[in-house]
Amino acid sequence: MKRIPFDIIITLLIGLGLGLAYSWLISPLRVVDADPIALRADFKDNYRSAIAASYAATGNLPRAQARLSLLGDASSIDTLNSQAQRLIASGEFTQADQLVALANALENGTSLISDATSTSESAVTIITASTATLPPPLPDIPFQFTETPQLIETQAPVTQSVVSNPTPRPTRTLIPTVGAPFTLIAQDSVCDANLPNGLLQVLVFNSKRRQVAGAKIIITWDNGEEQFFTGLKPEVGNGYADYVMSPNITYTLRLAVGSDIASGLTAPTCQTPSGETFLGGIKLTFQQP
Amino acid sequence: MGLTYGWVIDPVDFFDLTPDTLRADYKADYVLMVAETYRTEQDPGLAARRLAIFGSQSPSAIASQGLEYARANGFADSDIALIQELVTALQAWSGIQ
Repeated sequence: MKRIPFDIIITLLIGLGLGLAYSWLISPLRVVDADPIALRADFKDNYRSAIAASYAATGNLPRAQARLSLLGDASSIDTLNSQAQRLIASGEFTQADQLVALANALENGTSLISDATSTSESAVTIITASTATLPPPLPDIPFQFTETPQLIETQAPVTQSVVSNPTPRPTRTLIPTVGAPFTLIAQDSVCDANLPNGLLQVLVFNSKRRQVAGAKIIITWDNGEEQFFTGLKPEVGNGYADYVMSPNITYTLRLAVGSDIASGLTAPTCQTPSGETFLGGIKLTFQQP
Repeated sequence: MGLTYGWVIDPVDFFDLTPDTLRADYKADYVLMVAETYRTEQDPGLAARRLAIFGSQSPSAIASQGLEYARANGFADSDIALIQELVTALQAWSGIQ
């Protein structure tokens, strides 16, 4: 019977262990040429903010879409809205506005980059580049762009990327239009003793009946004005906002982006089944036509 | 065998990476984004802060690298001009506000 060569096996195992220790711990594969999808979440947020700021400056939606697709979000719209809510909560309103504007632009029927075709088999890098020098957009018509992205294909040297990712391909450019003003589609008195007294609830929907986060709401009364935003209570809804009205004050409310004006808003007096009175609330629903 | 397994067959999984590990074309595109925004905002401090995610290099050095890449890889002239404008602004910007 042949003797098992324990000494050889042990030597091999030690060599294997040392090799693994060296390659995993001492000198792991150096990370270079990473894709944005592999970034840490907070850096992805930075990347997304930069995309939204760039979109706000140029109005180039296909380019913004191509960039967003690099981050590998399951739903860019939801991710943008969610990030906007976090920024609103931390008081970063400008950035939040830009993210919401991009989310709205993506949502308003211009989802063009759905055919991001993988080119992994030929390791081809595609760089998007615009063909024309355009002046900065006028502030009041930010979406008047007609440039067409051009594809420039370059054969890249074969490198080991950390995460392989389909290269997005820009497609035809549509000219988005500025959305129509929001319409006040419902105004209801709410007599619910479980809600805070005088609660004014506002719901904002876009034309596709999806709730809009980050919508600025302006409420005014005789001696003052305040602003608040949808999306600060995502557990209720992305397009939800509320405000507590004081008794005997009449308010007027509108959306900052343009909407019908809800005027003469006064907290109604309600009664419980047992006959006690309490201050009720109002629920307003805005929708983009 | 251990090295082959650790480096080729099952290398350390990388996630939660920092932006300085991004491929050069992604870095250049990020610089272009900042340049596009700078054209409208004209705020070099804000542009520098956006570029700071790449680490300890100076903002103008980061932008210059983006410009180099853009020139070498056939970016559109309009994009190169935007990045050039950003580089110039950052070189002139003292960083003291």
